[in-house]
Amino acid sequence: MNAVQYRQSDEVDFVVIGAGAAGGVMAKELSTSGFRVVVLEQGPYLKAKDFTHDEIDVSFRGALINNTAKQPQTFRKSADEVAKAHDCVGYARLVGGGSVHFTANYWRFHPEDFRERSVLGPIAGSSLADWPIAYDELEPWYTKAEWDLGVSGLAGSNPFDGPRSKPYPLPPMPVKRSGVLFERGARKLGLHPFPAPVAVLSQPYKGRAACTHCGWCEAFGCEMNAKSSTLAAVIPAAEKTGRCEIRSGCVVSRIETGKDGRANSVTYFDANGREMHQRTKAVALCANGAETPRLLLISGIGNSSGMVGKNLMFDGNAYSFGLFEHETNEYKSIVVTRVLHDFYRSDPKRGFYGGGGLDSRMDYTPAAFALDALPPDGPQWGAAWKRSVGEYFTHTSGVLGHCSCLSREENNISLDPELKDAWGLPAMRITFRNHPDDLKSMKFLKDRELEILDAAGARKTWHLPIEEITDSVHLMGTCRMGNDLKTSVVDKWNRSHDIRNLFIVDGSSLVTSGRQQPTETIQALAYRAADYMAKAAQRGEV
Amino acid sequence: MQGLTRRELLLAAACWNEVLHAQSFKYLDAATASEIEAIAEAILPGDQTPGAREAGVIWFIDGSLAGYDKDKQALYKKGLAETQARRTALFPASASIASLTPEQRIQLLQHIEKTEFFALVRRHTVLGFFGHPRYGGNRNGASVKLLGFKESMMYSPPFGYYDREAAAK
Repeated sequence: MNAVQYRQSDEVDFVVIGAGAAGGVMAKELSTSGFRVVVLEQGPYLKAKDFTHDEIDVSFRGALINNTAKQPQTFRKSADEVAKAHDCVGYARLVGGGSVHFTANYWRFHPEDFRERSVLGPIAGSSLADWPIAYDELEPWYTKAEWDLGVSGLAGSNPFDGPRSKPYPLPPMPVKRSGVLFERGARKLGLHPFPAPVAVLSQPYKGRAACTHCGWCEAFGCEMNAKSSTLAAVIPAAEKTGRCEIRSGCVVSRIETGKDGRANSVTYFDANGREMHQRTKAVALCANGAETPRLLLISGIGNSSGMVGKNLMFDGNAYSFGLFEHETNEYKSIVVTRVLHDFYRSDPKRGFYGGGGLDSRMDYTPAAFALDALPPDGPQWGAAWKRSVGEYFTHTSGVLGHCSCLSREENNISLDPELKDAWGLPAMRITFRNHPDDLKSMKFLKDRELEILDAAGARKTWHLPIEEITDSVHLMGTCRMGNDLKTSVVDKWNRSHDIRNLFIVDGSSLVTSGRQQPTETIQALAYRAADYMAKAAQRGEV
Repeated sequence: MQGLTRRELLLAAACWNEVLHAQSFKYLDAATASEIEAIAEAILPGDQTPGAREAGVIWFIDGSLAGYDKDKQALYKKGLAETQARRTALFPASASIASLTPEQRIQLLQHIEKTEFFALVRRHTVLGFFGHPRYGGNRNGASVKLLGFKESMMYSPPFGYYDREAAAK
């Protein structure tokens, strides 16, 4: 197949910035609708054959993620501090983006996630708001994402889920030991564990092979194309149209606008460092919840509300472990096979906002486990520690809580006043401090996790420390979706309030963080926005 | 190879290996390497299964300091000098970290275990022990022998003991 190549001077229909979870969906939906699309991706274009089980390269040397030596960041907890160099924001930097290396948990938000402000009232110290759309409006697009990409799960097994128009296209993955133990403990406590919905193929689907349970999902790219990344699932279909060009190694420096206030081209540095300009009729900005606001701020556009970059939300975690009598062998198969949402909903009786979903896992690779995951009260080096590593690695199971994160206007992405990246662009500056309720929900979930592990029969339990978050990979909220032009950046169709041929589709438009695991919601929004964009463009209204 | 017994042949091969190694450090000198290896071996000692020395962790550390972790060379230099000073204070008669008894080495490392240098050597020791052999370490099946399983691209359920419970339902 000869991939299409556009000239810089060709005015294409859409430039998509970022080929990740959202951008990959955009590429396919827009090109299969007949539009000419150029996708600019700063990372490399790797394929399944390029991925490895190399823990040093991937986990410790960041082969698939952003390189802060070239793209430095600064961090501070509040605006009165001077930000210091600190690796805070992490994201996958390759074609397929985060969908290539994610754990593949594939959770829908719950109906109440879209109207928590109405249900709970205002929360001091937070900018909590309702979404401008309801779950029902997004439901068809959740279904579309699950069927288009390939998701395994059991419909109806989570009693707290919203209504669904269709079951999952594939049956759940076989349960792992962590899942069996989690289910044992949770049932004893009267909770409702269910088979994890995951973007991994339990059976062959649309020409892709099923998972072989090699166990290297999280942080790694799938060597079998069984993980339903946009790289494996939809980008090939986009290229097959002959209308979509994936241009990798291209760092976008600016979205250009004309006198009419419309975006008309995108400036970028190509893989050889040459500055290029791609002309286009419209732009889909899908660069993630941190790079998207940075690019808007650098370009000086889309920010009449002053809200670009604000309301940054991160992931909150609580992670507990149990040592079991018999081997758990968590190194086999996908990461998560059981989940429960009993503590998902915010319950005013607890005295704080938020909650979370719990999943069963022990997702450490051997070196990471030996370095960081053993009980803190035991030895950390020497003969006894070595024996523990050997015993614990194959006998540990765990529960990870994915906690709410309240939006605060003070938490934001801005431009560092001094530091520049390797392309001479202002570095990203992150200002972030958790709302006190975030930490309360983490502690609450940690206690529930330990109860479940105890009930499952763990001989010993321990947990990672609960701390304020200073680094994150779930990047949300920075171009908030809303009806009010003064408090939001995009409308309910992910369209910039200011620039009507600019669509912002990634984690940045999320109004609330749900209970983390944002990928399905980001992708459902992408399918929905792409449908809207295609229809509007066909009517000449973009 | 006539006239050589299998044992002699193995010995010769082992010696040849040593010679090769001695010639192929990219950054460390032999004396420094021996001191760092002694620290790594105390962190991850050999017993029924290989330790840091047998796993060739020093080759990983050397390769890292010559390449990816070039910026950590200064920390190694400074940390090792401080550790040597500490050793002289604790054991005035000693000549090197490598020549300490295992008990003395543990005692020495307990004095520096909260330092940035120790954390880095520990990290490098672990990465060299478990990481892919292409980085110089994880020799002699070190990680497989400690963890008790071998990597595979394919596993089938049941994956472990507790799956029986799920199957019974």
